[in-house]
Amino acid sequence: MKVLELNGVTKKFGGITACKDISLSINQGQIMGLIGPNGAGKTTAFNLITGVYDVTEGTIHYEGKPITGKRPDQIVYGGISRTFQNIRLFRNLSVLDNVCIAVDRHETYPLAPALFRLPSVIRKEKAIREHAMEYLAVVGLEEKASLRADSLPYGLQRKLEIARALALKPKLLLLDEPAAGMNPEESLELSKLIRQLHEKFSLTTLLIEHHMDVIMTLCDRIFVMNFGEKLAEGTAEEIQTNPEVLKAYLGEGYKRAGN
Amino acid sequence: MGYYISGILTICLIYVISNVGLSVFTGFTGLFSLGHAAFFAVGAYTAAILTYFYNVNFYLALLAGGLMSGLVALVIGYPTLRAKLRSDYFAIATLGFGEAIRVLLENLSITQGARGLPGIANYATLPVVAAITVITVWIAVNFTHSRQGREAIAVREDFVAAEMMGINIFAVRLRSLIFSAVCGGIAGGLFAHYISFIQPSMFTSYLSTQMTASVVAGGMGSITGTVLATIIFIAIPEILRVASIWRLVAYGLLLVLIMTFRPQGLFGYRELSLGRSWKYLRENTLMRAKGRK
Amino acid sequence: MNPPATFFSGFELKSLLGGEPLFIQTLITGLSIGGIYALMAVGYSLVFSILNFSNFAYGSIIMLGAYIAYFSFVKLGMPMGVALVLSILGSAALCLLNERLAYSPLRKRKASALYFMISAMGTSIFLENLVYATIGARFYAFPQEFTGTNFEFMGTSIGMLDLFAIIFAFVAIYGLHYFLQNSRTGIAIRAASYDIQVCELNGVNNTRLIGLVFVLAGGLAGISGMFLGMRYMVYPTMGWITSKAYIAAVIGGLGSLPGAVVGGVILGVLETFVSAYVSSVVRDVFSFSLLVVLLMFMPTGLFGKYLEEKV
Repeated sequence: MKVLELNGVTKKFGGITACKDISLSINQGQIMGLIGPNGAGKTTAFNLITGVYDVTEGTIHYEGKPITGKRPDQIVYGGISRTFQNIRLFRNLSVLDNVCIAVDRHETYPLAPALFRLPSVIRKEKAIREHAMEYLAVVGLEEKASLRADSLPYGLQRKLEIARALALKPKLLLLDEPAAGMNPEESLELSKLIRQLHEKFSLTTLLIEHHMDVIMTLCDRIFVMNFGEKLAEGTAEEIQTNPEVLKAYLGEGYKRAGN
Repeated sequence: MGYYISGILTICLIYVISNVGLSVFTGFTGLFSLGHAAFFAVGAYTAAILTYFYNVNFYLALLAGGLMSGLVALVIGYPTLRAKLRSDYFAIATLGFGEAIRVLLENLSITQGARGLPGIANYATLPVVAAITVITVWIAVNFTHSRQGREAIAVREDFVAAEMMGINIFAVRLRSLIFSAVCGGIAGGLFAHYISFIQPSMFTSYLSTQMTASVVAGGMGSITGTVLATIIFIAIPEILRVASIWRLVAYGLLLVLIMTFRPQGLFGYRELSLGRSWKYLRENTLMRAKGRK
Repeated sequence: MNPPATFFSGFELKSLLGGEPLFIQTLITGLSIGGIYALMAVGYSLVFSILNFSNFAYGSIIMLGAYIAYFSFVKLGMPMGVALVLSILGSAALCLLNERLAYSPLRKRKASALYFMISAMGTSIFLENLVYATIGARFYAFPQEFTGTNFEFMGTSIGMLDLFAIIFAFVAIYGLHYFLQNSRTGIAIRAASYDIQVCELNGVNNTRLIGLVFVLAGGLAGISGMFLGMRYMVYPTMGWITSKAYIAAVIGGLGSLPGAVVGGVILGVLETFVSAYVSSVVRDVFSFSLLVVLLMFMPTGLFGKYLEEKV
């Protein structure tokens, strides 16, 4: 089953075309990698899928239904969640509260009893906290729960973003450079975590990453973009041997590193 | 208690109600209102007209004043708070809004224009005001600790990420505005029934300024900070009998200085708690004791 | 106590037909008010386009400009030209001082727009009330023989003040436009309005550039202050008229200079017609309603560029 389908999606900012005629589809349970040089339009694609930007042309379907033109919060309710390339945590809030905000989507209570803090609200709040702790435990942050989010080291902030995205109970998870700024060991550990979460929460995952080792070990399929356009699509092996891709992106350097 | 002291206290508490409301809006959503006095005025006039001309029960009139303010907030907030619209749009709109409300009050016959309404019954005694203040602050604190309050903070911190948490930014902003307008309206109703005379010139930018200054000085996103700052801002100049014009000069300067040197205000983003104060005191005295050794 | 029989008073329509008020005369007055709104809106938009915040202190700089013009022209008996130059220089200096003292520390800290806005608001409250507390709340009027002169042109009586205001507003705006289009510094300012960080990386001294922008905005404030003072008298809270400039800027599209000019002229002309043909009382309510309606249907304004905050 196709979870996400982009059909001829184009995005223009004034005279600049950031995404041009992108068609892409992801099947249930896949991990797809989205790669390309800087400025290739990968993050723009994420912003289009999540409704942060409006599509100029083309359509986006999620689980067979069109989501083009919907607001981000409506799209999130459908079951898509994401992380950001430049970490966007609620910096002045605690680690736990960051995840609570996501858990709130599913554990709701109305405003009126909240204003009077009725016992039902107190019970619900307790449940929200417990659930948030479970998500923190998944990425190993349960001991940092009471710290301020911006006091965490960079790598842990990325993990917190993942925990927060998971707490929305997504079916489709979009990860924007989760391993940015990590050394090879850290990124290897992160790859393992992503694989683990992918299976545990039976996700479909779309992943932007510059660390080729992460992409090559994780992804079933890889979609390559260059200058806003599709350059190639295929399995890891196909992409690694595709001359176009090698020329535009991987370069000779990767081959040598691989040997 | 002396008449003078109870007077200052009553006025202080009335402003605590409206400022706590504004704190929920500005401090928790990061939007800035330049005409909040208008909500205060709408509440004051609605409640006063109801008790004055129609002999409506005081508490019902107070509630009606709050609801009327909330309704006005809905009308002004709907076009100006839409998602992603820069906060400047709202600030500019409130600037015109405050002026428009004042012009309306000066030209309606039911408000008796610039002459104002004299002889409003003196229902808002200190115990009544104190009880309503306690309830308002309690509700405001509950709001900020609820999921709705968390949503508001999320919007303030990073609205793009907030949207990605499935939060409808527009709904959150509008909800906070209405909450603050209702508080402002109730405070206005109390004000009218304490001072027993109202006229449009009482609700100018002076009041908006005082409200904003208290929220900023108390610390954005801190209810207790706002309460404390309000009491300091109203009581001290009142006791020292500083001319109100010099108070405004000082408020203006204070806002600039706070932004320059202590943008988080007295208690930025945190609440005053007895536990934490005790811990702070103990650690500091311990440190000092160690220092002496 | 009985409630009054009617809810509204003072809103009666003036006669829409008949010779008075004259259409051409109203249009000229509208253009002159619009020209001044445009000047103020350009000054405000200029700062907005570079630093991305609403400079609510601008109104009080304009107010101070009006005081400088009044005191040098009336009390010190200087010629009008000298008074205008003094007002321009004085306002420019004050505007620069405002930036250096109130905004520059925030800029260094990379504070969010909200903090700039609060600081601007504080500056405005401070200056307005300082004038009130020291000079007093008195309204100062420029002498009648100067502001009241009319001349006949094609059967219509046109005020000298209106004519001067139109000429000065458009000369100043054209001058600014020419400077921004053709000088190196002007090009740097335009570049900074797109991305000030990149501008700095390309060797532009941002502190000086921003200083210059505030000096330019201050200069415009001097001109508009003088003409506002002549039209509406000089008093401490006259700066609130600048809320019209902010509304004009929103009509034209926040941060767009051509938008500010067009928005200012449209607002000035419409307002003058409303107060001439309907009622001067509803004038301010009208401007506010126009803003709200515009935000509902056209939030980007006419030349909008800054609708959404950057992602």
